[in-house]
Amino acid sequence: MTLNRRKFLGTGAAAAGLIGLNGMPLRAQQNTLNVTAYGGVWEQAIRDCFVAPFEAKTGATATVSLGGPAQWLAQVEANPENPPLDVLIMTPDLAVIAAEGDLMDDFTVEKLPNLANIPQEFTDACLGKGTYFDYGVGGITYNKQVVSDAPKSFAAFVDRVASGEFVASVPSIQYGVTPVFFIWALNNALGGTVDNVDPFFEAMAKMKDNLVFWAGPNDFFNHLASGEADLGIYFDGRTWNHVDQGIDWIDFINPEEGGAMTAVAIQKPKNASDLAWDYLNEVLAPENQSKFAEILNYGVTNTEVVYSEKLASRVTPLSEANLPPYADIARVRNEWVDRWNREIGM
Amino acid sequence: MRLTDWALWLFTVAFFIFMILPIAVVVVISFTSAGFAAFPIPGWSLKWFARIFEYEPFIDSLWVSLKLAVVATVASCVLGIPAALYLSRSRSGWATTITTFLLSPLSMPMIVIGFASLFFLSWMGFGISFLALAIVHTVICLPYVIRTVAAVYRAVPPAYEEAAMILGASRFRTFQEVTLPLIRPGIAAGSLFSFLTSFDNLPVSYFFGSAQTNTLPVVMLAYMEHQFDPSIAALSTLQLALAVIALVVADRLYGIEKMTVAT
Repeated sequence: MTLNRRKFLGTGAAAAGLIGLNGMPLRAQQNTLNVTAYGGVWEQAIRDCFVAPFEAKTGATATVSLGGPAQWLAQVEANPENPPLDVLIMTPDLAVIAAEGDLMDDFTVEKLPNLANIPQEFTDACLGKGTYFDYGVGGITYNKQVVSDAPKSFAAFVDRVASGEFVASVPSIQYGVTPVFFIWALNNALGGTVDNVDPFFEAMAKMKDNLVFWAGPNDFFNHLASGEADLGIYFDGRTWNHVDQGIDWIDFINPEEGGAMTAVAIQKPKNASDLAWDYLNEVLAPENQSKFAEILNYGVTNTEVVYSEKLASRVTPLSEANLPPYADIARVRNEWVDRWNREIGM
Repeated sequence: MRLTDWALWLFTVAFFIFMILPIAVVVVISFTSAGFAAFPIPGWSLKWFARIFEYEPFIDSLWVSLKLAVVATVASCVLGIPAALYLSRSRSGWATTITTFLLSPLSMPMIVIGFASLFFLSWMGFGISFLALAIVHTVICLPYVIRTVAAVYRAVPPAYEEAAMILGASRFRTFQEVTLPLIRPGIAAGSLFSFLTSFDNLPVSYFFGSAQTNTLPVVMLAYMEHQFDPSIAALSTLQLALAVIALVVADRLYGIEKMTVAT
């Protein structure tokens, strides 16, 4: 067999064919929007609650990219002139970083009429370049079969775990939002400030013999199910999801000091399609948010939303949760992680 | 049997159990009737296997992963085999440097390769695309082909090829009739490693994920973070079954021993 130019080109064409049409870079198309979602039930909820009404109203189509905020932000940072994504779901700290990097567009009521019903503090927390649309609260989740009288506050949680009454499962530093919903929340409840986290680390030192650490939310559930832990720090919405799956021995308490609000932000990258405004307006619409909350068991931010009776008893009201100072936490986050690694190590 | 033989036998069995037991637990959990992952299981069901086929992103991403693994493996062979052949016989001082460079992805953290490649390929205009993903996967698969082919080729005496050429065979015919049959175990082993490396890769694929290019590991991670059901265990069992079937087929068609000799 001889390899001539024609055969070489033919082989090249075949290889290109194998790669297929989608081998071309993802680019914003005029009538297609690239939006983002977490996986599993989240993705289905995004499709049903936001994508479907958006497509029905505009006649455009939306593709849903699964993944996580760090991945999406890196993709936008790498392609700021032609971002591959039109709408980002972000953690609050990354939303601040994206806003500070001037990668995102400003949110205004002119562009997003439904923004008028979102508390201004949520848009301010994203430096005006995004807002929160969904939130959960970190509190105390416990096994009712083992814990008959659960601690009602963070302070009681620390004292009773330190005394050996309970073994607690707490988030490890590997979990992205640990600095916010655990370090800041517990420190704040114990009288600390963003610049003084001694109360948190002193409490951890007291509890250290009775702690196990979870690296991901599924670990927490396994700790409780296996009896390795009696209670721990977890989210309200995730607890209720377990209850809906038939696990009747689990319950949640929002501590008296107030748990930390762990919100989900939405942002539009600069140079992304203008269709994104229509989609974002659907994300902020009360009827769509209401449906979204029912599926995910988490609170939503539009003040016009009326929860069902079942959900109303589960969702922690905004007034009973603390909004962490995400921008300030971002400033000291590395110091906290460094101190955690030195003093706790997990 | 001597005491040391007994000790070695016991150690081997214990190590085997240590390796197999976690996998066995995952397989058992994939057949649970419960809506959450826990062991022991309360009853048996196949519903989580059905869930794999109901959840479209699993199937779409499985297809992307398979296509990507094939493209990366073929590209690694096309680029890696000639490089391995040349570098194995070269006496130039540069050969060692180039070999080290080509093998360097093995010693670099994958997440660094993924992050750097995202910015580099975006700067080159490839953006977030299957093509970009295939390029990066080829980079990380290439060392496996080069290493295995070079290992086999170094053991082949140059006299075989010299004899063929003395008898009048062209360079290409010598490669086709003499070299290729001798290095085939290296190519087979390198291809197998390449395919599995690409198919299982998460850190690199993560940065190139989009609605069109998400691979199975990326979708599995995204699913696991927000869903508590055992469908991931079912998917892992299915992957395991596919890997075992592939190995059995490879063994019947070619012989696993020949591949292990090559490595």
